Amino acid sequence: MIKKLPKRTVVIIGGGLTAGLISRQLTSQGVDVLVLERGGDHAQGAEAKLPTQRDELRWDSRQGLVQRWNVQTYTLRHNRQDAAAPIRWMEAFLPGEGVGGAANHWNGHTWRWSEYEPTLRTHYINRYGKNAIPGNLTLQDWGVTYRELEPYHELFEKLFGISGQAGNINGQKHAGGNPFEAPRRGAYAQKPLITTQAGLQFTAAAQKLGYHPFPMPVANSSGPYTNPDGQKLGQCQYCGHCERFICEAQAKGTPDVLLYPMLKQRKGFELRLHAHVLGIDYDRNAQRVTGVRYIDVQSGQEYEQPADVVVLAAFTMTNNKLLLQDGIGQPYDPATGLGVVGKNFCYQTNSGVNLFFKDSWMNPFLATGGTAMCIDDFNNDNFDHTGLDFLGGGMISAAMYSGRPIKNRRLPPGTPQWGTAWKKASADWYAHSMSLGVQGSCYPNPENFLDLDPVYKDAYGQPLVRITFDWRANEEKMSAFVTRKMEDIAKTMGADIVGPAGPRKSPFDTRVYQTTHITGGTIMGADPHSSVVSPRLQHWDAQNLFVVGASVFVHNAGYNPTGPLAAMALRLGEDLADYVQRPRVLA
Amino acid sequence: MSQDASDTRPRRHFLRTVIAVAGAAPLAPQQVAGAGIAALVAGSAAAADAPQAAGTPLQVGYACFSADEAAFVESMVNVMCPADQYTPNGVDCGLAIFIDRQLAGAYGQGAGRYMSGPWAPSKPQMGLQLPLTPAQFFSAGVAAANRQCQAQLGKTFDQLAPAEADAFLKDLSHGKIKDDELALVPWFNELMYPLFEQACFADPLYGGNHDKVFWKMVGYPGLPATHTLDMLDFRGKPYPGAQDPKSIIDFS
Repeated sequence: MIKKLPKRTVVIIGGGLTAGLISRQLTSQGVDVLVLERGGDHAQGAEAKLPTQRDELRWDSRQGLVQRWNVQTYTLRHNRQDAAAPIRWMEAFLPGEGVGGAANHWNGHTWRWSEYEPTLRTHYINRYGKNAIPGNLTLQDWGVTYRELEPYHELFEKLFGISGQAGNINGQKHAGGNPFEAPRRGAYAQKPLITTQAGLQFTAAAQKLGYHPFPMPVANSSGPYTNPDGQKLGQCQYCGHCERFICEAQAKGTPDVLLYPMLKQRKGFELRLHAHVLGIDYDRNAQRVTGVRYIDVQSGQEYEQPADVVVLAAFTMTNNKLLLQDGIGQPYDPATGLGVVGKNFCYQTNSGVNLFFKDSWMNPFLATGGTAMCIDDFNNDNFDHTGLDFLGGGMISAAMYSGRPIKNRRLPPGTPQWGTAWKKASADWYAHSMSLGVQGSCYPNPENFLDLDPVYKDAYGQPLVRITFDWRANEEKMSAFVTRKMEDIAKTMGADIVGPAGPRKSPFDTRVYQTTHITGGTIMGADPHSSVVSPRLQHWDAQNLFVVGASVFVHNAGYNPTGPLAAMALRLGEDLADYVQRPRVLA
Repeated sequence: MSQDASDTRPRRHFLRTVIAVAGAAPLAPQQVAGAGIAALVAGSAAAADAPQAAGTPLQVGYACFSADEAAFVESMVNVMCPADQYTPNGVDCGLAIFIDRQLAGAYGQGAGRYMSGPWAPSKPQMGLQLPLTPAQFFSAGVAAANRQCQAQLGKTFDQLAPAEADAFLKDLSHGKIKDDELALVPWFNELMYPLFEQACFADPLYGGNHDKVFWKMVGYPGLPATHTLDMLDFRGKPYPGAQDPKSIIDFS
């Protein structure tokens, strides 16, 4: 039988990045916090120690740090007329499991989105007129401004020791940084990472074309670093085992290094592991939640955990699942456009091209998850869309992240798949090749959404989330345009061989890793009829329930989501410290 | 290792013989892993230049392959990885052992795969929709490929000459060989080909990439990969450590 536990003040679902940041804020004010994490602690495991950490097959190919698909997966259909199929082994995106969540195996890319992003609808209308946004792009303002989030961006970058080169300090442009970046109050916490050979050659070509290359802002620590909380990062070893790996050198800003060890020392903080949350108890009449139910996966015992405040801080998919399953908020209906939960589900529109240089030693293994030079000239609305038949754009980068040889061997087009010629090409080009990539925006479409699958269940007997998603016309056109710009740079770089640059096209393919940056479904906004949570991340239909993470993003930009979601989590933590003293609808 | 190329004894006969005696007397590693198959590659002029397999001996014996499956995989990896100036043949590189071990282990038994019904064919982009573990899919695919090979060429795959076997694999990959019972395109491209690449390039810990031969071939230095100083010292220059890669085994 279910056991009822003593009530806690704040219960957070999911022990990842946002939960760690919120807990930091709350515990600093002495507020009682319980974090429920379905996985265990990786800190002493084979994944976090040499030599076993450097195992491409185990952690990358076999997804050793990723959510177990046999326990919980998703179903997918490209259009709502289709039958959905369960994704039996997902490659496209990789939620994490265990303390730190997906932020353990991230690459560290940390952006402040452009100043106009939270007010994108208004921005487009102001710039291109009232008909700028086609009816099938459900863009809306987020109800928050960059100015409001800026102090929290600043705090997060200091806490995570972000390495980068400022391009815009209080409106003053600085050469070598990103001229399109939102205004900052000062330099990054640390100097940029060392640039790779690929980055140098990209920079030269981009400058020749009149673009503005800069080093990507990242959480891979360019030096030894101590943050304002006294927590330390080692210096990045450029080992090429970052994305999909835990950093054994503690040189990547992650919650399991910078937040949880500190939090465990703080009074009033509890991290409960192996606690898989099954549901949120919702009192519809009172418009309040009363607590959560979870199963201790090590004992099989189910618990009811009452709470004054519940924070839903899981991965995008689980945030959606719990709201849909427990009937909190009206599910989105694409037939009528009514309802909100599951709406504005977005992915990210990426593409790439390979370059081969006989005379350049690219040494792909001399790299980290954040060694990238970028241009923002064609990202989002940083360029004039007048006369173009799409909105949005993408960041173009020379990203050299790893030379792990199962996956990161680039072969010229036409190379046979095996045999002596295949070996020759592998031997000739492994150290002499690089890639350019586009990370492109993905705008919400009424036909891309999440709901509960009517057929398939997870290992706990609960419905899987059903994804209805495909690349729609706006994203295909954007990808074609920005991919051409990337190809122009590739050609300018003087490579002996330039591979085909394939823009992203329908159908969405789950068999190929693209990015873990899925967003939306529990979107924020100023209007309760078109959003799930308020600009303060408070649920419109349950005052003491808060939702945080990329699931509140109204659209996805050509940036990684971590910067804004971390800033919002820090702000939420501050808000909650106040809320628990005086519960109310936050303005 | 130097059998006459004209030796046309059926491969499976050889294997059955080996297996029949395996219980009676210990075998030298190379008798099990790759002896008979040398016939397939002995005709290759490049074979004379093949680097000698070195280091610790290959693991001996298969954990899950049937005789037919062993014959198929040994032929396949030796066609896909012939002995040449880059590496010894696939069997001697440990590729068959790697595939056998992976299929026998957690991966082959479907660890982490969502296996609940109902089941229905779907689009390729949804990934495989079969109520089979990778090991079961593997076995079904070997049987189907041999069935089609027999029907089209009058022989099982392991009996084909190297050029014929190479062409047959290309046809499998390109969907030119169809079987009524099993989808051979995803079988080859989504199961067998990734296993082949992993066998070549994974850490030698797993039985493939014997003596780090593929890492040496491309110049991947392996562990410990603490490259902070190298970032500037060897930016745009050949990296000396690439000549002598280190594996997890070297640090264990």
